Amino acid sequence: MRELLAALFNLLIFPGLGFLFVCAMAFEWGDRRLIARFQGRVGPPWYQPFADLIKLLAKEDILPNDAEETTAAVLPMLSLAAVLTAALYVPVAGYAPLSFEGDLIVVLFLLSLPTLAHFLAGWVTVGVYSILGGNRSLLQFFSYEVPFLMALSTPAIFNGSWTIAEITARQTVWNIFILPLAFLVALVGLIGKLKRDPLDIPKAKSEMVAGPLTEFSGRKLALWRLSMDMQTVVGVFLLVNLFSGGASMLAPLAFVFKALAILALLSTASVLYARLRIDQLAHLGWRVLAPLALLQLLVTVWMGG
Amino acid sequence: MTKVTIPIGPQHPLLKEPLSFLLTVEGEQVLESTLRLGYVHRGIERLCQERTYVQAVHLIERVCGICSHIHTTTYCQGVEALSGLQVPPRGLYLRTFLCELERIHSHLLWLGVLAKNMGFDTVFMYAWRDREIVLDVMEELSGGRISHAVNVIGGVRIDLDAAHTRSIQQRFDELERQVEKALALINNEPSLKARTQGVGLLSAEQVARYCVVGPVARASGVDVDLRRDFPRPPYDQLKFNVITHPAGDVWARTLVRVQEIRESLSLCRQILAQLPDGPTSVAMKRRVPPGEVVSRSEAPRGEVIYYIRSDGSDKPARLKIRTPTLTALITLADQLRGVNVADVPVVLSGVDLCIACADR
Repeated sequence: MRELLAALFNLLIFPGLGFLFVCAMAFEWGDRRLIARFQGRVGPPWYQPFADLIKLLAKEDILPNDAEETTAAVLPMLSLAAVLTAALYVPVAGYAPLSFEGDLIVVLFLLSLPTLAHFLAGWVTVGVYSILGGNRSLLQFFSYEVPFLMALSTPAIFNGSWTIAEITARQTVWNIFILPLAFLVALVGLIGKLKRDPLDIPKAKSEMVAGPLTEFSGRKLALWRLSMDMQTVVGVFLLVNLFSGGASMLAPLAFVFKALAILALLSTASVLYARLRIDQLAHLGWRVLAPLALLQLLVTVWMGG
Repeated sequence: MTKVTIPIGPQHPLLKEPLSFLLTVEGEQVLESTLRLGYVHRGIERLCQERTYVQAVHLIERVCGICSHIHTTTYCQGVEALSGLQVPPRGLYLRTFLCELERIHSHLLWLGVLAKNMGFDTVFMYAWRDREIVLDVMEELSGGRISHAVNVIGGVRIDLDAAHTRSIQQRFDELERQVEKALALINNEPSLKARTQGVGLLSAEQVARYCVVGPVARASGVDVDLRRDFPRPPYDQLKFNVITHPAGDVWARTLVRVQEIRESLSLCRQILAQLPDGPTSVAMKRRVPPGEVVSRSEAPRGEVIYYIRSDGSDKPARLKIRTPTLTALITLADQLRGVNVADVPVVLSGVDLCIACADR
């Protein structure tokens, strides 16, 4: 009975659904507020992400006639479920009740599911913008995913473990100082994964309307947005664990501070640059990020990790 | 690879005004584009013939939502020439002052739209924030931010006092600082250059063939500017440079326009410094003597032409408006051929479309 209660607590409250939801809302607000301040605006009040979500949930849910309704309904849930599952294995301030050997690989796999769901969502809703946007999200996936995976496996090799909690605990000096290239590539990869400015190529508003999500509305769109917000949280937590861990520094307050610092980096990047073209991203991914990540990986292996 | 047809418009997030493009796309490359116009045709030319010369001023103010003042200026110039009215110098200076303010406001608005369309929200926000300075000045002068209703046939209906002049000059200092920042950004920001350089190329020959005017022509190295080539007073008393750039891409257009903002600011300062005393307008006669006139002026987007024919009554017998956007629209088929889909917004905003002007 106690085990069941503990499992339910982990799933639904901490570090599962409830905690992640609050974090997602807080991160979205912090992000929007910070970007607004950079751009000389005021930004939304703290409850704006909630209000947006509730508004979307209450709105009419329509799809085009030719769309596959079941698949279109399942995809946002699949995306959300993948992110929520990934969240269970990413330690929060050193607390990782479900951690097991090799959970980093599972998390990386689960985090790539939402992108594939985006691609499929574009196909099953049969709009011109949806299909083109879906294709673009797949192209983008191929550009950032390989460097991203290489960058995230570097700390694993360096610290000699594929368990996130272990990697966090084994850092005496933050990995960000030892493996700066890997951190940089991981950060750019995360921006690409989250489809944030300036890598919001699949949903580029000025030509793709909303990309793969163009035809979605109401509850489904709300779930998509929530899953993207939660993915941001999980991605940021993952980077905190892999690159700025260390047993002594993992007090909850320090963890929050580090997570906010990485979120601020993401916000800054989205303010500083114009959106890239898909061919420019492919160029960046394969000619710049991949060699950098590979270099960092080889150096790590050569140093004897 | 299969060909897909992407509709851009009549309603699309990219477009601020209704216009329709059908792009035939293969993968990410645009093969052909078809243009449809006329969604905001309001029949203004015909409507003006139903109204008296004075009433028509207010209708012509609404040809364009951005450069409303230059349209009434051109129209009033024409009618004044027909009726032989001599506008007092102070009226001419104030009229030109607003023309130049409008050019600054139009170019800043355009910079924001371009930045927004290439996913550079920060520049969009900055440009529109700085545009507020100009809009405030225009509102103080005329009571309207966009539609000013400043021109009357025979002069202007506004005036400036010394205290107001000083306050405007102070705000120009701030605007000048921001324009310098924008220039530095355009010259140095790598992601902006990557998105605009080599995109939407237009050679000087194409400019000549399509009769393109304004900043788009000047960014292709064609040195035309009505303010210098056929200076109406007070432009003959003012010093300014005509900005050109040989590159002919969207980046050159950005550079030319932002440098033009700087020139316009300097023109505004000169006007404020030289502002002559006297009345701002003269009374007009109700009937205009028979005759015809072609009135031209340099709008923010290039040369705008008004043809007015009078049959001696109090209504124009024929009014024809030719706006600069129409010439730029024709070039888009050439500019869009072969570009990446992601460059379509950049190309479209690069020529600074004003659909309301083109449709009238």
